[in-house]
Amino acid sequence: MAAQRTPSQTIGPFFHEGLRWKDAEKVAFAETGQAIVLTGRVLDGAGEPVGDAMIETWQLSPRGRAPAAAAGASRPHGFARVETAKDGSFRIETLLPGGPAPFLDVAIFARGLLKPLRTRAYLAREEMVRADPALAAIAASPRIKTLVALSAGDNAYRWDVRLQGDGETVFFAA
Amino acid sequence: MNDMTRQDPVDPPYRYPEYRSTVLRAPREPLVALPPNALDIPGPFVPKGFVRDGESDLTAQGRSAPLGEKMILAGRLLDADGRPVRRSLVEIWQANASGRYHHPADVHEAPLDPNFHGVGRALTDDEGWYRFVTVKPGAYPWKNHPFAWRPQHIHFSLLGSAPVQRLVTQMYFPGDPLLAIDPVYNSVPDAAARLRMISTLALETGIEGIALGYRFDIVLAGAKATPLGP
Ligand SMILES: [Fe+2]
Repeated sequence: MAAQRTPSQTIGPFFHEGLRWKDAEKVAFAETGQAIVLTGRVLDGAGEPVGDAMIETWQLSPRGRAPAAAAGASRPHGFARVETAKDGSFRIETLLPGGPAPFLDVAIFARGLLKPLRTRAYLAREEMVRADPALAAIAASPRIKTLVALSAGDNAYRWDVRLQGDGETVFFAA
Repeated sequence: MNDMTRQDPVDPPYRYPEYRSTVLRAPREPLVALPPNALDIPGPFVPKGFVRDGESDLTAQGRSAPLGEKMILAGRLLDADGRPVRRSLVEIWQANASGRYHHPADVHEAPLDPNFHGVGRALTDDEGWYRFVTVKPGAYPWKNHPFAWRPQHIHFSLLGSAPVQRLVTQMYFPGDPLLAIDPVYNSVPDAAARLRMISTLALETGIEGIALGYRFDIVLAGAKATPLGP
């Protein structure tokens, strides 16, 4: 029997204790791989930091597989959940996903977001990102740059999210 | 398609000026479509032992019982085909009976309750059922507009069985007069969809002489994803 979906509502400003998991900023896998760090900031339409957001990431394993069930682990595999700090910054430690244009699926929740924003942080060169068939609709758009994390040293990436206005990040329909 | 012109039949729009915080946080550019199933990789899978016994009883986390109307809150987590979403994580957070969150950003003058932190989690069973023991949260004022008060509500977070099912929502109470003036509740465009966020009084779900019962079923997007082969 078909059932009708429950609507989304904002996470509000008071979610922190309710949704905090131990070590959730360090993504666990059953496989080994290349350790990387992704840092960035979330900014609003006035360029002000969004200091009360929650970011979740989901990704393939280093060998390009769907993350396995995490038997004996302390948290789910392949998944990060982090809060932004007052200055809008966040930090995620993970392993580079497999594939020619590896990326993290990103969901952003915050006060003022009545439903999550969905985007991707690609950990690959821009030409590889433009060649990703999933992005065919925007392959020629200058906005595709907003999905590409910049190299910030050895195994470190920098990726800022602009919710609105100049340099607005590409967001996906759920 | 541009989200500004499309009315989602279920979810609110990003931009909803009556809820002021949306104004600088809603994207202006059209959303970009991804190929179907891009978000349909099953998981994340919560490992055994992630939720400990007792985490679903919010009235047993202090030295003694919290103030407020004790209530049992139970319901089923279902997919769009009406099938149970099994062994799935349900997280809740809420204000205390006075309408105050145990949170440093909550500056409402109502008292904290040392016996109530307002945080709970549970895993659904094989039928999709979850069950919490808690107290009814109080309404609280906020600065969205003059005399703005949030209706009594409990925040819910559902992981579902794949990212396409991920949902954060709020559960309201039947007959609350503040629902009519709440822009968060009213941001959902369809009246019938709004009603699906309201729990029902279910006395038999409670405990005779001890706790009121409320029932709240939650329906996630899509059907249960088929696990990928090895
Ligand atoms: Fe709230």
